[in-house]
Amino acid sequence: MQCKEVEVVLEQEGWTPLPEAARDHLAECRNCQNLVEDLTAIVATAHLLPAEVEPPARIWVSLRSQLEHEGIIKSPVGAQNSWWHNFSDLFRSRVLASSVVGAMIVAAVGLQIQHPAPATEARNVYDDTATVLNADEANLDQMQLGSSVVDVSLRQNLDIVDKFITDCETRVKEEPGDDLAREYLTGAYQQKAELLSAMMERGGSVN
Amino acid sequence: MNAQTIGRSILPLLGAGVFLWTAAPSAGATQHFEKHFPVKGHPVVCIHNIGNGRIEVKSTKGSEVIVAGTQASSKVSLETENAGDRIDVSANIVDITAQPSETEVNFQLSVPEETELELKTQTGLIYVEQVIGDMTLQSVAGDVHLKEVSGYIVVRTTHGSLVCAQCAGKLDFNSVSGSAQLLQPGLTSVNLFTTSGNILFDGDFIRTGIYTMRSGKGTVEVHFSGNDSFDLNAQTMSGTVDNQAEAYLKPDSHGMKHMASKFTKGLFGTVGSGLAKVELSSYSGTIRILKRD
Repeated sequence: MQCKEVEVVLEQEGWTPLPEAARDHLAECRNCQNLVEDLTAIVATAHLLPAEVEPPARIWVSLRSQLEHEGIIKSPVGAQNSWWHNFSDLFRSRVLASSVVGAMIVAAVGLQIQHPAPATEARNVYDDTATVLNADEANLDQMQLGSSVVDVSLRQNLDIVDKFITDCETRVKEEPGDDLAREYLTGAYQQKAELLSAMMERGGSVN
Repeated sequence: MNAQTIGRSILPLLGAGVFLWTAAPSAGATQHFEKHFPVKGHPVVCIHNIGNGRIEVKSTKGSEVIVAGTQASSKVSLETENAGDRIDVSANIVDITAQPSETEVNFQLSVPEETELELKTQTGLIYVEQVIGDMTLQSVAGDVHLKEVSGYIVVRTTHGSLVCAQCAGKLDFNSVSGSAQLLQPGLTSVNLFTTSGNILFDGDFIRTGIYTMRSGKGTVEVHFSGNDSFDLNAQTMSGTVDNQAEAYLKPDSHGMKHMASKFTKGLFGTVGSGLAKVELSSYSGTIRILKRD
């Protein structure tokens, strides 16, 4: 069994016991071991997130479409529930769409790092993440954000994160192989997604 | 299970009380509240303070949860839900014209020693003392102070800092500009990440423990004891590594061969037998390693 086939098995079967061939491959393939470790960590982290309001259905459609477009997941075959359905169920009750999209793309970035890819391809994934988050940040302008201590703190910290992201992006563009810079960039994107989510929650919906 | 059966199962639980505290004589007067909830096992207490204010939790030997405190005005309402051993309290703003000072609600909780907590506030301090149980604590600008707590502790802040004294169990802290201080911890798993705050770890590394401490722009400082046993990996992208404990660090003689990245500077080493794993990193801040006297 090859790496791609293991990915398909994981995608379609989820955490059910893996076929022997997949287990044999996993035992020897560091890349696939990393993939499984990442997925396990993401699911474990998702279980820790507090349950909040349910995002609209259109978000799942666009998120799925984005991930399919990037080749990270494939359309399910037949009526069998894929791991993706279980995975999305975990997030079904989460907060605003922007943060979910942001966090998922960040997760995709993490997976991308584990599967060595050409530097330009990895950069594109970061570009997508930055685009989504920047679009959400632009939406803040349409909201009536308050001037309380909390609102000011959120804005100041968004500024801190934005500046840090700029530093990290510059570094990653200069040195695509710098794993530490990538790790910090991923963390900063996650924080930005959470900040935007909190700010939107306070400012109300733009729709 | 039909609707009737569901109703029979759930209604007695909820019958204990979804209700609203509405005793609010005047908009501007500070008022005191206190509510007692008898519990049987290990309760789960959730406080969601959408306004501002402090949340203080202390344990008692009793088998009841006491939610007491003050609210600044009647422009905030307190909603509670008590189903079995789960107690949810939310402070919600009912008047959108309310000023921040009018939305302040300060909570004082007494809980059994073994209690799970989920606390969320905006600007006030979260203080928890002598509670055993998993807890998730969230604040935007308020600090989080923990003393003698244990469990799986998750702390999320935007600007608030964490002080964790004599904590045990596992700790996961994430903040944008907040700092974290871990004093005399008995933690077996630590994961700290702050973009611009500082990190201080002053205590022993438990054998087999895993400790990850990362700060983007702040200082990461570790004070260890001479009896500790851990493998150390400290890396920074553009900051500095200030190793003041060179005499105690020897080359890692077991496990994986560490290869220094050409993009970072730092050190690998072992103290004692290397039983715990300590990973320190910074983007541009200083990493300082010291041995306690």
